[in-house]
Amino acid sequence: MKILEASKIYKSYGNKFNKQEVLKGVDLSIHQGEFISIMGPSGSGKTTLLNVLSSIDKLSNGSILINGQEMTKLKEKQLAEFRKAHLGFIFQEYNLLDTLTVKENILLPLSISKTSRTVANHKFKEVAEELGIFELQDKYPNELSGGQKQRTSAARAFIHEPRIIFADEPTGALDSKSASDLLNKLSQLNQKRQATILMVTHDPVAASYCSRVIFIKDGQIFTQLNKGTETRQAFFKDIMRTQGVLGGVQHDQ
Amino acid sequence: MTSKQLLFRNLRKNLKNYSLYVFALIFSSALYFSFVTLQYDPSMDVAEGSIKGAAAIRTASILLIAIVAIFLLYANNLFIKRRSKEIGLLQLVGMNKGMILRLLSAENFMLYFGSLLIGIFIGFSFSKLIILLLFKITGVEAIATLRFSTEALLQTLIVFCMIYLLIMLINHLFIKRHTILALFRVTSSTEEQIKKVTFLEMIMGIIGLLLIVIGYFISSKLFGGDFTTMTELFLAMVIILGSVIIGTYLFYKGSIRFIFHLIRKRKNGYLKVNEVVSLSSVMFRMKSNALLLTIITTISALAIGLLSLSYISYYSAEQTAKDYVAADFSFTDEAHASTFTETLNENGIEFEERSIEVIQVEVDLSQISDGDIEGELVEGTVLPVVSDTAIEHIDLSSSEVILSGYNDLLQNFIRLKDAGTLELNNQKFTYLGLEDEFIVSGYYTSGGLPVAIVDEKAFTKFLTEANPDIQKPSNTFYGIDIANKNQLEKANQIFNETLATSNGPHESQLNLSNNQKTNMGFMMFVVAFLGLTFLVTSGCILYFKQTGESEEEKPNYTVLRKLGFTQNDLLKGVQQKQLFNFGIPLLLGLFHSYFAVKSGWFLFGSELWTPMIVVMLLYTVLYSIFGLLSVNYYRKVIRDAL
Repeated sequence: MKILEASKIYKSYGNKFNKQEVLKGVDLSIHQGEFISIMGPSGSGKTTLLNVLSSIDKLSNGSILINGQEMTKLKEKQLAEFRKAHLGFIFQEYNLLDTLTVKENILLPLSISKTSRTVANHKFKEVAEELGIFELQDKYPNELSGGQKQRTSAARAFIHEPRIIFADEPTGALDSKSASDLLNKLSQLNQKRQATILMVTHDPVAASYCSRVIFIKDGQIFTQLNKGTETRQAFFKDIMRTQGVLGGVQHDQ
Repeated sequence: MTSKQLLFRNLRKNLKNYSLYVFALIFSSALYFSFVTLQYDPSMDVAEGSIKGAAAIRTASILLIAIVAIFLLYANNLFIKRRSKEIGLLQLVGMNKGMILRLLSAENFMLYFGSLLIGIFIGFSFSKLIILLLFKITGVEAIATLRFSTEALLQTLIVFCMIYLLIMLINHLFIKRHTILALFRVTSSTEEQIKKVTFLEMIMGIIGLLLIVIGYFISSKLFGGDFTTMTELFLAMVIILGSVIIGTYLFYKGSIRFIFHLIRKRKNGYLKVNEVVSLSSVMFRMKSNALLLTIITTISALAIGLLSLSYISYYSAEQTAKDYVAADFSFTDEAHASTFTETLNENGIEFEERSIEVIQVEVDLSQISDGDIEGELVEGTVLPVVSDTAIEHIDLSSSEVILSGYNDLLQNFIRLKDAGTLELNNQKFTYLGLEDEFIVSGYYTSGGLPVAIVDEKAFTKFLTEANPDIQKPSNTFYGIDIANKNQLEKANQIFNETLATSNGPHESQLNLSNNQKTNMGFMMFVVAFLGLTFLVTSGCILYFKQTGESEEEKPNYTVLRKLGFTQNDLLKGVQQKQLFNFGIPLLLGLFHSYFAVKSGWFLFGSELWTPMIVVMLLYTVLYSIFGLLSVNYYRKVIRDAL
């Protein structure tokens, strides 16, 4: 089942005289339960793509269907409504509210959707235990390590069982041990809960946990890799190879 | 870019950001200037007249300087911290500290003296209005003229120049002391680390609440008869003041966090939308501002309290005059009374005249006085005694006595029971109770002692055995009431003209009432002036704090909006948060002043509620403006957050 379908999306910044096109006609479709990475060099438009798909940023042109609903036509308020019901977010900077405890942070999406307290508690226990942060529930974010913070952030993204989870460089600020921990948890949750995850990363190791990797360059899709039945190691090599072709910072001028 | 361009660009940017600072600067300089103009205005001599007006105004102007100076220094401190990154950057690109200081000084100079000039202009144009207002309140009839006073200008300029130099000195120290690296970190280091509520904080929170309650409790007992000597009373006041102020400090330091912690604990991690924005943020931020908030609360309470008391006094001037002068005009000898009545007849003013004989008799109050009071007050008391024939609705038997017209202030030192035995001149009488009516003027009652009313027979007996040592020069009260109250003004004028030279103990109720209105009106005016300055400056400080806080919380709003909170959701939370931020200090200040006023208001007048509520409402309304302004600022921040 297609859960997200984006066709010919364009995004440009600046005014009429000084326009910078960041996305130049991206077509993309995502199926239920997929774990997808978007890779590409700096400035290729990865994060913009994620922001546009997750309705945080407005499109210049094109259409995005999530669950059959046209996102570009929704008003600000409806978008907020949509985000709270169907989307989850994990950010590189964790973006936890430092005045709230771990539990309060994780329960945020449920309190917006007015879930009953017992259900909320139940869900919290479930997801917090899966991510191994149940014991930390009364701690404040600045008492946590980076990995713990990111798992809290992940728990917050998963707790209301959204259709799609958007993750922007979730491992960017983590050491390799915490990073692989987090990725393992993410792919576990992906399989167990059939949660769809769209992740932006420039770390090939992180990308190798995914089922599909989309490479973009200069605002367009360059190529895609499917993991299929390959092992993670083999898939990692594929990704490295493609990245080599793609080039780090080079520009065709 | 030359440094001149940089200067002007900064100035333009700052003018927009710090518009309220500029406003406060203009406002305080305008206020100060018009106040000083008042001080030097020749027409003020009339208003100052009999009272110690000049001293009051001078004291007030010094207080005004203090408030304005502290405010400007504090605001400057906030702003330089906010700009520390910019200062660091300028150093990074090669400017030395001297150059930056010069740049900053020049920038401040223009901002500061520009506002000062505008302020002086506004202050000048409003000074006439202010003088008119003062005359209206005090009832002084004089012509208010608009006069530009060079002395006032000079004084204002000198004072503000000193403040400016002080600010520059502090900026200089700030820049000198911080390394580039430190400058980049200044803003973040002022906020404390967020931790769990500690045991110490809980204890502090509980002690804070307790201290406040104890202070309130003692204040309600203050004039209840438990403290009778001056030393005890003074000690009690010091204890109240200390426990309330320390309590307030601990309240901000611990109680708020403790209470909010309990609320959150009860929610078990499940916070509603507006609680996320309000509760959690207020909980952590109030503590770091504890000292500031304590000062704001205490001075607010002081301002509200003083204003209420002077307004109570002003408001009940007529009643007080009635209590002290038992008729429209009161005389102590017949000669003066008849001169006055003749003049009244000549002018065709109708009146009623009455005379009451009063004798002073030694009284033993010990059996009807309540509570623990100093013996000397009770035993040696001399009370005025009148016959029941002088009062229409009272008829007593030969062994009965009624007291009437007891001053509220004195009641606190000698409290009376409802019934008992009273010894008059060593004869026992049955005491029947206390009436409200004031029968003779303060001249006979030693300023507020009750009058004893006895049967005609007993009265004649006292008359024969009266002790001449304790009698007043006059034993007859002559009261003259004007029949038509419209002619009272005219009668009063005649009174003032005919009796201007003889400064005997003759009194006019209207004069007394007007006199009190002038005195208290003047007090009220000065206190209101200071109160307003303080209100505006403290409101501005809270507002600046909030604008800084909103910038710091912007990333939080970004997260929340990404999660699906709408702008409206967040705004509701912010409104609630501002209700706490502005409401808690205000409410605490109101409570403090309420208890302060409640404990001693009767020393000032006869009506508590109306004047106090008027003052409190006015203060609340003016104060809320700053809350609303800050919500408006937050609205912008939230809108730009995504």
